[in-house]
Amino acid sequence: MPHTLNTVTLTGTILGINFGQSYASIAVIDKEGHPQCIANEEGERQIACAISYVGEQVYIGNGAKPHLVKNGKNTIMGFRNLLGHTYDEVDHTTILTAPLLADSQTPAYTVDILVPPAPASKPASNPRSAAASGAATPNPAALEPVPSTKTITVPEVTSLFLSTLLNSATDFLGTKPSACVISAPTWFTPAQHDALRKAAEDAGIAVLQVLDEAAAVLVGYRVGDAGENEKRDKKVVVLDMGETSLAISVIQVSEGQYTVLNKGRDDKLGGREFDNLLLKHFSKEFTKKTKVALDLPCGPDASAADKRADAKLVLAVEHTKRSLSASSGAATCAVESLKDGYDLSSSINRLRFDGLASGVYRQVGNKLTEVVKEAGLDLAEIDEILLAGASTLFTGLQQHLSLLVSPTTPVTSTIDPSEVIAIGCALQALHLETLEDGLKVDDVLASIKEKVDVTSQPIGLVLPGQQGDELAAVIVDSGAPLPVRRRVAIPVQGVNGKVALELWEGKHEVKIEKVERPPLEKTDDDDEDEEDEEEEDEEVKTPITKKVKALGGVEVEVKGDNQLILEVIVQRNGGLNVKAWQEGNEAAADSFEI
Amino acid sequence: MASVVTLPLTLSASPSGWSKPTAAKPSSPSQLPLYPAGPSFISAARRQILQRSFEEDDKHILAAREKEAAAKEDKGDGLSYPGLGEEDEPQHVLNQDPKEWKKQDHYAVLGLGHLRYKAHDEHIRVAHRRKVLRHHPDKKAAQHGANDDSFFKCIQKAHETLTHPEKRKQFDSVDWNIEDEVPDLKSLSPEDFVATCNKIFAREGRFSKVQPVPEFGSLDAPKKEVEGFYDFFYNFDSWRSFEWHDKEVNEGSDNRDDKRFTEKKNKSERTRRKKEDNTRLRVLVDDVLALDPRIKRIKAEEKAARDAKKKGGVNGTTQNKPLSAAEKKAAEEKKKKEEAEKKEAERKALEASKGDREAAKKAKEAARKNLKKWKKAIQTVITSSNYFQPEGTSPSPAIIEKQLSELDLLVELLEPEDIKDLKEKIEKAGNGQPAKAVLAEKAKATGEKGEGKFTEFA
Repeated sequence: MPHTLNTVTLTGTILGINFGQSYASIAVIDKEGHPQCIANEEGERQIACAISYVGEQVYIGNGAKPHLVKNGKNTIMGFRNLLGHTYDEVDHTTILTAPLLADSQTPAYTVDILVPPAPASKPASNPRSAAASGAATPNPAALEPVPSTKTITVPEVTSLFLSTLLNSATDFLGTKPSACVISAPTWFTPAQHDALRKAAEDAGIAVLQVLDEAAAVLVGYRVGDAGENEKRDKKVVVLDMGETSLAISVIQVSEGQYTVLNKGRDDKLGGREFDNLLLKHFSKEFTKKTKVALDLPCGPDASAADKRADAKLVLAVEHTKRSLSASSGAATCAVESLKDGYDLSSSINRLRFDGLASGVYRQVGNKLTEVVKEAGLDLAEIDEILLAGASTLFTGLQQHLSLLVSPTTPVTSTIDPSEVIAIGCALQALHLETLEDGLKVDDVLASIKEKVDVTSQPIGLVLPGQQGDELAAVIVDSGAPLPVRRRVAIPVQGVNGKVALELWEGKHEVKIEKVERPPLEKTDDDDEDEEDEEEEDEEVKTPITKKVKALGGVEVEVKGDNQLILEVIVQRNGGLNVKAWQEGNEAAADSFEI
Repeated sequence: MASVVTLPLTLSASPSGWSKPTAAKPSSPSQLPLYPAGPSFISAARRQILQRSFEEDDKHILAAREKEAAAKEDKGDGLSYPGLGEEDEPQHVLNQDPKEWKKQDHYAVLGLGHLRYKAHDEHIRVAHRRKVLRHHPDKKAAQHGANDDSFFKCIQKAHETLTHPEKRKQFDSVDWNIEDEVPDLKSLSPEDFVATCNKIFAREGRFSKVQPVPEFGSLDAPKKEVEGFYDFFYNFDSWRSFEWHDKEVNEGSDNRDDKRFTEKKNKSERTRRKKEDNTRLRVLVDDVLALDPRIKRIKAEEKAARDAKKKGGVNGTTQNKPLSAAEKKAAEEKKKKEEAEKKEAERKALEASKGDREAAKKAKEAARKNLKKWKKAIQTVITSSNYFQPEGTSPSPAIIEKQLSELDLLVELLEPEDIKDLKEKIEKAGNGQPAKAVLAEKAKATGEKGEGKFTEFA
């Protein structure tokens, strides 16, 4: 159903929040009713999920990241995935930032801070006021800030971070947003969903829905909502590659409803891999130029100088990485005093980088193939790949993926993949906020259970006297949530009498054809090796739908060239209503029910 | 809504010997998780929650769309506010000099002369659009080859002024097309006085910061309303201001003193005018209060009430005998009860009589309306009877005159019901002597009042 966004009058302003493990982004609905990813006060659309305590100061967002260099043990990062877990459930050996406290209930960080001395009129948990009151003390000698430690739990950190996002949105909008939709990874448990919802509500915003990231991507790209030109039934893959992890979902889109066929994740494969590759590359380059030994990325038992160099270079390659995905030219990387007082100044172009990263690309491709295969599908059956997450911005990765699937399958990144989740959340918030007919958000969201009934096999059309064992056209694909109704029009030409149609149930299969390559003309004798490889026959895979069993038939008297309309409804219980009529003559319809 | 997809197939006639395959049940549904996201999900949820079938849902969507389209149409130009901004454009308006915008009547320029301060933003928008379409310089150039955009500039200036709330207030404050004049109230009859005052205060009320403004009200307005009205106008908070009359600071001069002097002068002038205006309104309200017939009526009523009370009180005291406390209490209770009963009865009677009275009043009014018609019918009968003269002779003007004046008299003397009766009888009797007989009978029925006054209808 094509859905046009009107300029709706909302009761309040709404917000879409993409809350990632490493980066967050926020989107709002602008005056024209379009979703828009907004920048925070620092002009950043990708806001780092980091909080750093430095003395009396607290840095939140991108400003906190550089503090990882000197102040790693008071900097908190990667806290989202710990939400809703107890301390024991968390793998706390891999956390390189502020240490986690052994607490049986919720994991908590301890950080060193300076608190203003007594009388501390305001509690130290309020970071801004702590800094202000410390500065205004009349007798500095007697009232020096006192070193202290602070314990802050993961939900508290999350609330603190979300409230800064909320402030940014409030500054942009001029009013406080009334409600939001917030994204969560596809693998979050219900307990984690609840924890996230509670943290957001503590931050002062009502949560309409905690939305799956993959669902946010689908809503963001408006899959199945583009009108007549789009296929009604599609199998799409949502590939979300962020800073730290990769998530792949295989989705059946049925007229804009999304059913999940399979999902998989790899939480070691992310943008960090690219960072490490670049670190390695630049450290080698540095050693080559300056003859100073530097082997990055370094392990936990490396020297302090190496660790500092590592942290410095991580920040620098971040920028290089962005330049690489943004423009085709060479991307530079420059660090002052990387090690032993020597500076690094180097550059890398796309070709070189793709060469370095081909291993990672292949890993992503393998994961994709694996997840699709687990869903019982073949890559040839995938109709579209949707990209999300800033790491998918690499053109090399996009090319690698497009080679895996059939040449007609698009690899979509029409909306900036780093913003699409936030945009999807904002759109979903808009949809929920503008419900008609007096529906309530909670009722709508509660209307489905964990799993819903879907068609198990495709239902399609066979023309009488048709040769072969394939369906002529699929009308309702498998995986369509029930009840489902489809209408198709079939052109009629030069018939004055009866036309008939048979309805069949089908089965998806992949036809593999070996196509013999036309022998290449020998143009150059140097190419001999390559030709040997290309001698093999190429396999061409095409998805087909085979006839399995006949469900019924209709016969309609037609006059003139008006097209025939066929309506198929699959009821909630699996029953079938079929009706066919010539356009403009609905009275003379032929129908059957099962 | 069900979207229809055209399949890349073409149907041909069914082959002979084809028969429908026997119906079979499709495979039973399987279960998969669904993402609760996207507009399609919401549509599906809506169908499920509201228990609608696809067809019912289609109907609702169709209805909603039609409503939306209708709403949109109302907003669009062309259809709404027909005739707005299409007032006549007098030559002096068209020939205005855009530089003289202070003297320009912005409402007249936009063709809103009939609405003035009552025009709301939507009117101004629509009128401006229509004026621009008609007077755009490009269009003029194409039509006459003239390169004259002076009226277009006037239109733009008018639009700028009227869409800016502050500027519009300034202009409305001094709109010289709405007079502050008040006619001589003393010479007016009470009805005219009320009508005039209603007009005056509706006009003055437009400057009130507090809206809505109470109306002056009708002649029989209750005391509370009248007092409310005067309270409001004695505490009138006006936004009227007189910036429009400010003298322009000479742009060319850099002289700061000059500028300050002009500004100061403007300011004092504004204050003076404002003060004058406030005084004007106060004097007006004073005058009206002094002449208001309703105040007199209310005073008289109050006096009557006081007198009645006094009288009642006197009665009470004369009958007063020393009573014991219990007796007193009993008497008081009895009195209260009686009073309550009386009130109830009164109320009931009032309600009942109100209905009757109203019905009677209506009937009477209807009869009065018809009176003329009936009279005409009678007259027609008389005329067609040749004024009761022998056939062939034309009646002399004197006779006609006499008969008609007698008819008038008859109508005057008789009740409307009787006239109706007369008309019906006379029409039944037909022309000539029978008609005359009927008339004579009715003339007789007037009794004393008509004695000796009828000669022709005797």
